[in-house]
Amino acid sequence: MSVATASDGAPFAQQAELDSNADNAIPLREVISMAEKVTAALKPLVRSLDKAMYRELKDMLDSIEALRGDLSKVDPDDIFSRRIPEMGRELSAIVSATEVATNSIMNIAEQVLAADKSDPAAYGALVEQHMMAIFEACTFQDLTGQRVTRVIQTIEVIEERIEVLCRMIENNQITPTASKVSDTEKRNRARLVKGPANQGEGISQDAIDSMF
Amino acid sequence: MYWGPTMTLDKNMRILIVDDYATMLRILRNLLKQLGFENVHDASDGKEALRRFETCRYDLVISDWNMEPMTGFELLKAVRANPETAGTKFIMITAESATENVIAAKRAGVDNYIIKPFTTEVLRGKLEAVFHQQVA
Repeated sequence: MSVATASDGAPFAQQAELDSNADNAIPLREVISMAEKVTAALKPLVRSLDKAMYRELKDMLDSIEALRGDLSKVDPDDIFSRRIPEMGRELSAIVSATEVATNSIMNIAEQVLAADKSDPAAYGALVEQHMMAIFEACTFQDLTGQRVTRVIQTIEVIEERIEVLCRMIENNQITPTASKVSDTEKRNRARLVKGPANQGEGISQDAIDSMF
Repeated sequence: MYWGPTMTLDKNMRILIVDDYATMLRILRNLLKQLGFENVHDASDGKEALRRFETCRYDLVISDWNMEPMTGFELLKAVRANPETAGTKFIMITAESATENVIAAKRAGVDNYIIKPFTTEVLRGKLEAVFHQQVA
C-alpha cells in the first residue's frame, strides 16, 4: 500500500507534525477535529446520494422487467414459427381446393359436351349424374370460406401485436393489453371450432365410420 | 300440430338443413333433391334452427358445426335436451375433423358424422345407416 504524501513528497502526518512546529501552524488535533466535522457533515449528503442512486437503479430494473413482459406478449416466435406458416398452409389449401374444383367442373363440362346425344334418355341421365358431381365440387366454397376466415383471424392477431409494439415505442413502454390468445381464439376453443384440417391432419371419414 | 319423428327413410320426411353458408344450403338441398327428398327446410345457424322447431317438427336435421351465434354442436345438445325433439335424427356435416369433435358429438347423441368435402354417395350411405333402410 502506498503512503499518502503532501505536495513536497513528505507524508501528511509528518507534514502536519512539521507544520505544528511553525508559529502560525494549526495544531494537528484541530485538523483532525475539523476533518471529523466535515466527514460528519457530509454523511447525510452521501446517504441521500446512495438512496437516489438506488431508486434510479430500481426504476431502471422495473422498466427492463416491464419491457421484457411486454415483448413476451408480442411473442414474435409465435408469429413467425406458428401463425405465419399456418397462414401459408391455409392459403396453399385454398389454392389447391379451388384448382381441384375448377378442374372437376371443367372435366364434367367437357364430358357433357362430348357425350352422345343420339339417345335422349341416356343423355339426360348422364347430364343429371354429372350435375350431381358439379354440386359436390362446389362444396369447396364452404371450406375455402372457413380457411379465409382463419387467415383473417390470424392477421387480426398479428395486427393487434404490432399495434402493441407501436404503442410501446411511441409512449415509451406503455402497458400493453394484447394477450397471446385472442378473444376469438378463446371462444373458438371453447366451442371446439378449429375449421378445416390441413393435409395429413384430422380424422378420416373411414375412421369416423368405424366409430358409428 | 305435432309430427312425431319418422323412423323410416320416407321420401316425404321433413328435413332441416342448417349451415351458415348459403352455397352449402343450396348444394345440400340439390343433393337431397337428387336423392328424392323434396321436403327440405333450411336455417342459417343453430338459433334459427331451434326457432323452426317451435313451429314444426323434423324427422332429420343435417347440420354444420361452425356457425354463429349458435354452433351445430350446441344445436345438437339443445335438440337432445328437449323431450319433444330428442328423438330427431341428427347428422353433422362439417369440416371439423378433430377426433375430440367426433367423440364430443357422439357423446351428445349425434346419429352420424360427415366430413366436408363429401360426395352424394357418402350422404346416401349415412342416410341409410341412420334410418337402417336403403334410399330407393
